[in-house]
Amino acid sequence: MKRRALLQWMAAGTGLRSLSARDTAELGREVHRMARLDDRPGALDPQQTRTVAAAAETILPAGDGPGATEAGVAAFVDRMMADWYPPAERDAFLAGLLDLDARARTRAGRAFTDCGEADQIAVVTALDDELAALRARPGAASPDQHWFAILKYLTIWGYCTSAAGAQHLGLDAMPLRYDGNAPYQPRAGR
Amino acid sequence: MTFIQSPQTWDAIVVGSGMTGGWAAKELTELGLRTLVLDAGRPITPEQDYVEHKPAWEMPFRGLNDRRAVEARQSSQRRSVSFDEWSHRFWTDDVENPYATPADKPFDWFRARQVGGKSIIWGRQVYRWSDLDFEANARDGIAVDWPIRYADLAPWYDLVEQFIGVSGQAEGLAHLPDGPFLPPMAMNCVEQHVRARLAERFRRERVLTIGRVATLTEGKGERAACHYCGPCHRGCITRSYFSSVNATLPAARATGRMTLRPWSIAHSLVYDPRRGRVSAVRVIDARTREQREYRGRIVFLCASALESARILLNSATTRFPDGLANSSGQVGRNIMDHIKWGGARGRFDGFDDRREIGARPNGIYVPRFRNVAARHPDFVRGYGFQGGAGRSGWQAALRSRGIGANLKARLGELGPWSMGLGGFGEMLPRETNRAMLHPTLKDAWGIPSLHIECAWSDNELAMHRDMNVSAAELLEAAGARDIVPDGRGPSTPGNTNHEMGTARMGRDAATSVLNSWNQAWDVPNLFVTDGACMTSSGNQNPSLTYMALTARACHHAVDEMRSGSL
Repeated sequence: MKRRALLQWMAAGTGLRSLSARDTAELGREVHRMARLDDRPGALDPQQTRTVAAAAETILPAGDGPGATEAGVAAFVDRMMADWYPPAERDAFLAGLLDLDARARTRAGRAFTDCGEADQIAVVTALDDELAALRARPGAASPDQHWFAILKYLTIWGYCTSAAGAQHLGLDAMPLRYDGNAPYQPRAGR
Repeated sequence: MTFIQSPQTWDAIVVGSGMTGGWAAKELTELGLRTLVLDAGRPITPEQDYVEHKPAWEMPFRGLNDRRAVEARQSSQRRSVSFDEWSHRFWTDDVENPYATPADKPFDWFRARQVGGKSIIWGRQVYRWSDLDFEANARDGIAVDWPIRYADLAPWYDLVEQFIGVSGQAEGLAHLPDGPFLPPMAMNCVEQHVRARLAERFRRERVLTIGRVATLTEGKGERAACHYCGPCHRGCITRSYFSSVNATLPAARATGRMTLRPWSIAHSLVYDPRRGRVSAVRVIDARTREQREYRGRIVFLCASALESARILLNSATTRFPDGLANSSGQVGRNIMDHIKWGGARGRFDGFDDRREIGARPNGIYVPRFRNVAARHPDFVRGYGFQGGAGRSGWQAALRSRGIGANLKARLGELGPWSMGLGGFGEMLPRETNRAMLHPTLKDAWGIPSLHIECAWSDNELAMHRDMNVSAAELLEAAGARDIVPDGRGPSTPGNTNHEMGTARMGRDAATSVLNSWNQAWDVPNLFVTDGACMTSSGNQNPSLTYMALTARACHHAVDEMRSGSL
């Protein structure tokens, strides 16, 4: 049972009062078990999810194969923020999404998700340039922890490890043989 | 503690079901002994527990690990090169299985508790020793002499290699003897190029060959040839690589004489002072905590080097106050591992129109060349290089500049070819590198755990420095560009997971724990055949030698039982 369905079922008030104390305790354990195993609560609210999805799609757009949206990158970022990153890094990431919106408003007068493609590309390119400059600066304090470095890393990682992305890139093939001297042409030349 | 006595007396009890326990189980049962095999961990069913074909998108963290769970429960185990989101269940829980070290002497103790032990997650590289190794201690005047030579072990290497299946290339090197190899895995185009260039430059003195691996390149009975899917440490549903689960335990089971008991933590051994023999193994059930005593005529300790030492130390009696079979005081001492994280990587131009297809679970090997003919001024013994050539993939883009369609196109491109070489260096035995019972620390079952003190000596550190230099020299001779030395510094002792030496073989009872048959000097019906028995460490990956010693010891034990001396 998905969490949403479970919550709906509970909200319907299916006679909780008629259950014995023991059954209620059992139900409680079951609810926690399902919530844990099924879809744990994420870290992103709906608007943050849309912002991440739009930024990820700008980093890896559809066209010549699926983009970040089709590859489900936003759900992966949500999982990572909820269950992987320490709270401080998660909060810095969420603050970064506010920065993304602020940049969009400065440039186009609206939230990032409401911007046209050209403005989205311009905002993300500027962030990418800043990150590259940060990486190039000797002694810069952990550029990998910059919120945009995390977004870009998770976008690429999430894309290449998704079924859609891996299939598009030919990473999912199990050729059942080894050839250490196979011909290769860069994609651009094919 | 009170242990319930089991009514039956087994012909043999084997503690551990991994690399060596599987061999003891197979040999002893095939020789007619009713054998009880104990493993501390869960049973393994390949169809359920092997996950090598599970794609990243079915993993919650896509291969980045359940970070919080790992930090909480496996903060030591995760440092193993084979630990990942798929394979983490093949490693122990650090909270249930604690150990201690001095703050300034970290030691990585990687442990596997399940039927199959570490044979499920091992690196599968198998290299014979030669008399260059067996004579080394005597030649250098270090520690004690091995009580055996290559000729004693050669037929057992043959037996083991024929059964497990070893693919490799015969090279005719005296110090790295060939075996009955299955066809070698292929080298890729850059590796072939490097092999040829090194042969021109160094002739037979430095050879680059394909790794010798316990992975089938031809079908063998129920086991299929490797299909090059790649991540062997997650299991192998086709049983193509050797593990006890894939090969020796099924053979033992087929005799009808093996009883395999998982969830059985060996607490200690029971010594019968009247007979001067070990009489039983005390076991705590990992799940129920029920305490049982299993009686056996002979006992084989195959629990891994440090666990076997721990069991002996936990089996002290009035006759052996410092631990069973420890009249020499050597149990727990002489811990050795192989030093690594020295080497180099370089780029190879001119092969941009070639690629690899398939994931070869093997690399190349450069057998030891230091102190083989000429003497090196800075250190004794030597090291071999393992490594390989390949092209980078999408991971190279993770920290690169650029967004949009261009970035996406780059994800599908292969980067330049590069080759890396990483040394595995011999560690000298020293009594001060030791494990002892911790005065207070216990595992989740109340069994005293280990305090481990282990550090490299100047000899290993000199060898490690030389790895960076000679790897660069090899790569340069082969035409590599932009050669970068390995900058990590010496590995943490234990990290190579080749720990050994804690109950060494030797020529007398005063200075060693085991005789030339892996038989305890003090307790003749006790055999220790895992890495604990090693008198020196060589530089070769050690499992093959452990297996050959185990098979040899089993035949000797049964001969002695038949002749009435045991």
